[in-house]
Amino acid sequence: MLIDSQTCKGCGNCVPYCPMEAIIFHEKDSAKGVMPYAEIDSNECVECFACLRADVCPTDSIREEELKWPRVLRRAFSDPLYVHKGTDIPGRGTEEMKTNDVTGRFREGFIGVGVELGRPGIGTRLSEAEKLTKRFVAMGIELEPQNPLTQLIANKKTGELRQEVIQEKVLSAIVEAKVPIERAQELFRAIKLVAKELNTVFSLDLICKVQKDGRIPLIEEINKAGLYISANGKVNVGLGRPRYKE
Amino acid sequence: MTHTLHRQGTVENLKDDYVVFTMSAKKVNAKGSAVKIKRFFEILEKHNAVNYGDMKTGNSFNSSRDEIYKNIKDTSIVHFVVTEKREVAAILNELAEAHLGTSVVVSGLIDDTEWACKKAGLKMHTVEFSGGIYGRLDTLPEKEVLELTTMCGHGMVAANLVRDMVRKIKKGKKSLEDAAQELARPCQCGVFNPKRAEKLLRKMV
Repeated sequence: MLIDSQTCKGCGNCVPYCPMEAIIFHEKDSAKGVMPYAEIDSNECVECFACLRADVCPTDSIREEELKWPRVLRRAFSDPLYVHKGTDIPGRGTEEMKTNDVTGRFREGFIGVGVELGRPGIGTRLSEAEKLTKRFVAMGIELEPQNPLTQLIANKKTGELRQEVIQEKVLSAIVEAKVPIERAQELFRAIKLVAKELNTVFSLDLICKVQKDGRIPLIEEINKAGLYISANGKVNVGLGRPRYKE
Repeated sequence: MTHTLHRQGTVENLKDDYVVFTMSAKKVNAKGSAVKIKRFFEILEKHNAVNYGDMKTGNSFNSSRDEIYKNIKDTSIVHFVVTEKREVAAILNELAEAHLGTSVVVSGLIDDTEWACKKAGLKMHTVEFSGGIYGRLDTLPEKEVLELTTMCGHGMVAANLVRDMVRKIKKGKKSLEDAAQELARPCQCGVFNPKRAEKLLRKMV
């Protein structure tokens, strides 16, 4: 994304709409004869298109640029309207638990984990995500193959991402995994350790199928690990058909 | 993506915040599902929603109802935001009778969602919790701002836009309602709750 310096009138309307605070506003400098203008810091811009879609520029000076590899990844992981070829759905993740009633992706005895790097609203370099993929792979944890980030792994034995992509900045990238519930504590310990090494934030997703008796075994594991658990969350209410049968 | 998870807030201020959405599974029941998703839309639009949308088209503040409805495809994810658990129960009851076959997810307080499921004769199938935020917490915006920005899970509502709206309300340049709707516009999926936003903004000004 760029702002045409020839046509920008320096109104500053676009500045607050950037989730990454990547629009720099230059004040009028009478001594140098410079009028006010806005400029996008391309190193910090994640190509989310929020500024363009805000539709607040009176001179249509915000312009889309042709994005080449690997910069196009910024858009893929930041613009919710971008559809990943691997998942066929807009956004950065997968169907995860949303369709679990028909896919059976998360079955009894397993828990799902999503580590959403950069969320909420801070953004992340893909090198930060690599710290998680390497750790999980070293633990023998299988990463979700449909996830767009998993598809950037160059070395399946180490979890290393393709070197040309790791400096790309994105709004968020999700490391998705699934483990038997017996490994929950080990997984939580690893996540806490990686958290200390990161130069960004992450939001932690925890998924579990509800048992026939209504129990949610994941809750016991979360409490045992002393992790936070939200009062709000997402519930798949089981209306999908055909229902997956274990 | 878990775009309706991680909404920050207290149990008290999350009591008027429920997102109900549907989608088909790419490898199972996606083919021909647009008709079912359109039927979902027709059912939900009768239930006092304060926002709705499909990320492929937009939300109720930046796109028309007909645009959103007509553009529904097999791979669409259609969302509606309602403010009462009783409304969620009524919706689930109607959806259960409609036998659409696409997956339905409710995002909100888990206890209230379970209550709504029981009222509709349903059982929770799978749950997803937020396990919190970790890492460089010192880089996060203030808590009050996060309660607003996290209503768009894709991160399209900027912290600075919230601060800008607060400034404009204080200066009398925006009403609470207008500011809340301005915050709802960038959230393409239509999962941002403008009514809750009004209440949160009122506390900030």
